Amino acid sequence: MSYIEVNNLRKTFTVRKKREKGKLFREKEIVEALQGISFVVEKGELVGYIGPNGAGKSTTVKILSGILTPESGEAKVGGMVPWKERKEYVKHIGVVFGQRSQLWWDVPILDSYSLLKDIYRISEKDYKGRLNELVEALQLEKLLRTPLRLLSLGQRMRAELCGSLLHRPELLFLDEPTIGLDAVSKLSLRDFLKWENKEHGTTIMLTTHDMEDIAELCSRVMVLGHGQKLFDGKLKDLLEKYDTVRNVTVKYDVEPICFGDDYEPNFPRGVKVTRKNGELRLTYSPNEIPTADMLAFLQSAGTINEMTLESENIDHLIAAMYKEMDL
Amino acid sequence: MRAYISVFRMRIKMELQYRGAMIGGIVCQMFFGIVLVALYHALYESKAQAMPIEQVSTYVWLQQAFFRMMVATDPDLNDKIKNGSISYDLCRPVNMYTFYYIRVAAQKLMGSLMRGIPMIIVTFLLPKGWGITLPASGGGLFCGLIALFLGLLCMCALENITMAFTMRTLDSRGMQSLLNLLMVTLSGNLLPLTLFPDSWQKVITMLPYAQLLDAPIRLYSGEYLISEAPLILLRQAGWALILILIGVWFWEQNRKKMIIQGG
Repeated sequence: MSYIEVNNLRKTFTVRKKREKGKLFREKEIVEALQGISFVVEKGELVGYIGPNGAGKSTTVKILSGILTPESGEAKVGGMVPWKERKEYVKHIGVVFGQRSQLWWDVPILDSYSLLKDIYRISEKDYKGRLNELVEALQLEKLLRTPLRLLSLGQRMRAELCGSLLHRPELLFLDEPTIGLDAVSKLSLRDFLKWENKEHGTTIMLTTHDMEDIAELCSRVMVLGHGQKLFDGKLKDLLEKYDTVRNVTVKYDVEPICFGDDYEPNFPRGVKVTRKNGELRLTYSPNEIPTADMLAFLQSAGTINEMTLESENIDHLIAAMYKEMDL
Repeated sequence: MRAYISVFRMRIKMELQYRGAMIGGIVCQMFFGIVLVALYHALYESKAQAMPIEQVSTYVWLQQAFFRMMVATDPDLNDKIKNGSISYDLCRPVNMYTFYYIRVAAQKLMGSLMRGIPMIIVTFLLPKGWGITLPASGGGLFCGLIALFLGLLCMCALENITMAFTMRTLDSRGMQSLLNLLMVTLSGNLLPLTLFPDSWQKVITMLPYAQLLDAPIRLYSGEYLISEAPLILLRQAGWALILILIGVWFWEQNRKKMIIQGG
């Protein structure tokens, strides 16, 4: 049996709208947040969960952390049904909601931790060991005696993570943990998550909009849209399908005359050309024109001063994918 | 159990940080107390009432001293309900009602002691008829303290019922102001319940709001005899139990229906 088993999970919300002029009652709209999601996750996996806003990512996380009860469907995590055995179940999981806070606003974070220690009934010895380990890994030494309200966003996120991991959860849910963080904080957060996953075998489920998070961390990615699962597999496989565009920027010593005034007719079919500051930017599909041919063509036209070749930005790929999936 | 003791301690520690608010509270309550006592002096000048002015003044001051115990509400919980951070509390292996009951109890207890004790000391020093008199007897003081504790239990239970409404409406203002108005009137804060007509008092003293501060004050001042104390304390305990049960049921219903919106 797998660690997490989700079968045909459904959840709907009722949204009440402001009454329209001339109508007697408010309109209600039923939003199907999840329309029958199924998946399994093995112990120790690090799974990314992506999809556009409103796809049902957070809803899944909330159901699996016991906060929401689904309309129908089954879910078992470590043999327990989250929303039915909530109080027992939540001892085994940790949750970080990127946009909310679990620590007390007006007291030093160390005090919040010691409250969590009592809430989860962690023994003194266990608590000390774990706290030291986390404080070192998350570089929190200097912040322990500072009230939460005085911390920066990045510091706060590290403090929240520490709070969620004190009781050594087997499963950690992260709902947009890198939202609003600077580059350094993001990198160190990712390193930490990798470390936690490897060192303690913690299963991690991560929702995010930052594709770098997924690329860096997750061996497996699930794509959600309109409450349905659209993809489940390796990120590489997902991207291969949509990775159909290459960009070349090229600068010649002297711009070749053979390109003419309007460029495109003189290039192989399907190439898009824009010209800016003496540089040519070409977009083409390697499926139609092999990259080797493209480079050979450019070289034959004149003496190249500078050239870069890049594949499409990962965000563009995801956007293209969402578009194709009609999200 | 450890968790509840821990949250109680921590909330007390946190309350101790708000010393500026404490001074503000004392000044405000002193002002109200003086105005009210002056008002009753003016009233008594024209026509003396059945109840001696010393007792009215004691009643007013004790109400003011423990005002915080009655009306303090947990701003953090209000925020959490509004912004959805309450979802974290649903992921904890503790009983949410008990957790917040204890939290608000610590807040009300510490908040009112910080304001009440200095105020009581100061008002003892005021001239006779303007300040607080000594308790009617040692027994009266003792029973009054027990009654104050039972009153605190009722106040926290009422607070949690108000919070249950907030969870439904997502905004604390409407229901809170309505219930606070009822409380301030029927608890004797605005006008001592002892000054209400006797026939009214028979009903009002049975209501939950009279169990908060009115009962302890009357035991302190000797308005209620010590022989009556067991019955009074029993009535308070009964109300505390009923209010807690209503709150627990309400919170459980809310928990089942709760939806945390947004990512």
